[in-house]
Amino acid sequence: MMAMARRRKIGRDPGLQIRMTLTLFLLGVVYAALVAALLAAGVGAIVVGVIAGGLLLLQLFVSDKLALHAMGAHEVSPQEAPQLHATIERLCVQADLPKPRVAVAQTSMPNAFALGRSPKNATVCATTGIMDLLSPAELEGVLAHELTHVQNRDVMVMTIASFFATIAAYIVQFGFFFGGGFGGDGDGGDDNVSGIALVLISVAVYIVSFILLQALSRYREFAADRGSGIITGRPSALASALMKIAGTMERIPQRDLRAAPSELKAFYIFPPTVKQSLTNLFSTHPPLEKRLAALQRLEAQLQGTA
Amino acid sequence: MGLLDVLRGRRDLKAPAPDRLFAMTTAYVTLDTELGLKTDGAAGIVFQALDTADFNQIATDMQEVVSATSSESGTKIDTSDDSFGYRWMILRDPDLEDLVVGLNAVGGALETGGYGDRILCAVFPFRDRTGGKVYWIYNYKRGRFYPFVPAAGEQQRDNERELKLKAQLGEELPVEPELERWFPLWDIPI
Repeated sequence: MMAMARRRKIGRDPGLQIRMTLTLFLLGVVYAALVAALLAAGVGAIVVGVIAGGLLLLQLFVSDKLALHAMGAHEVSPQEAPQLHATIERLCVQADLPKPRVAVAQTSMPNAFALGRSPKNATVCATTGIMDLLSPAELEGVLAHELTHVQNRDVMVMTIASFFATIAAYIVQFGFFFGGGFGGDGDGGDDNVSGIALVLISVAVYIVSFILLQALSRYREFAADRGSGIITGRPSALASALMKIAGTMERIPQRDLRAAPSELKAFYIFPPTVKQSLTNLFSTHPPLEKRLAALQRLEAQLQGTA
Repeated sequence: MGLLDVLRGRRDLKAPAPDRLFAMTTAYVTLDTELGLKTDGAAGIVFQALDTADFNQIATDMQEVVSATSSESGTKIDTSDDSFGYRWMILRDPDLEDLVVGLNAVGGALETGGYGDRILCAVFPFRDRTGGKVYWIYNYKRGRFYPFVPAAGEQQRDNERELKLKAQLGEELPVEPELERWFPLWDIPI
């Protein structure tokens, strides 16, 4: 009975769950509006849907390999990286996950990320920079964060969540083509108006869903931090790792950042762009102070002082 | 993990599966008589040693209780922390059944204290006729056993031997069916 009570106590963050559910709900509303607009515009919708659906599948099934390649990461055997493998194996037992593929990227940028559409098809990648920078306990916290992303199927959730945003982006880009096409065979009039309306709605959908997606990404980041703390039982080690990474990030030149494909950003342990020029609204990761505060609350719960 | 949990990004630590540790006691008859694998006179249980006040208290109490009960059977206990931050509790007794009972007491004490989800696995070392080492590892989260045979060389394991062991004992032990969950444990202190 005591065990039940403990798990309830440390496993939950109701506020986070509510915010995440609300974001998902709002995304759904926005996308429903887009679908309605597409249907109102007529035939074009099906074509767009098929193209976007194909892209979605491509993204789910091929993108992890492309991304690894783009990052200059390569899979490593247990002999090549014994410590990394052993740490991940122990965490997998604890988190009840099958072992993911393990990859290493040769870069001084201290970072880690997880890829793959499901726990059985996952790859966890760490850079040589992060392995040099962190202590074993801190690295364990970071890897547990990535494994939580795997367990929460964050790549799948984010890919599907951005599905309609991608459609909207395509409509915006090819908007004039669609606008012209609809009015082409008749004498303009209604069709042309609905074509323009579709582009406008798409722009709105794209902007709103972009903001919501970033919010969703931030909530899932919090959830992964939390999951890491629960798996390792050492949230403070992850907090210390985040501080170390943040400290190094500011000193690392921008050159490394541009080399990293931007769509991967959401899956990093730490966003490569730390400049606060963008407001919180547009960032994939929560601000460091908030992540540290959340980890501190979890530590207090574990210690039984909160 | 359900779809709703995936969408909400919720994480709970999995509690131990129903205990099937005692399956080792019956399987040992086959191991010993048919396969010539003898217990190495030791067994270990690995768990995350949390750095919290009540966990330290529970660990100390547990050690006392288990020492007290196991001294009747002559089991010796010692603890060591490995380089990955996990704690090993090592029981030494020539009788395998006493070892299983001892491990069960340690696991039970952790579970009663509310830290059952911190237990990783139990490890049983065996020696074959030529003196080679073979491990059976019990994964608490899954409630299943799997073989682990380290081979010569850095981080090498004898997969052929492991698969053979699975075939030989699959009837008597709940063996982990997913090979990607046959996690090795390097530098086992026993």
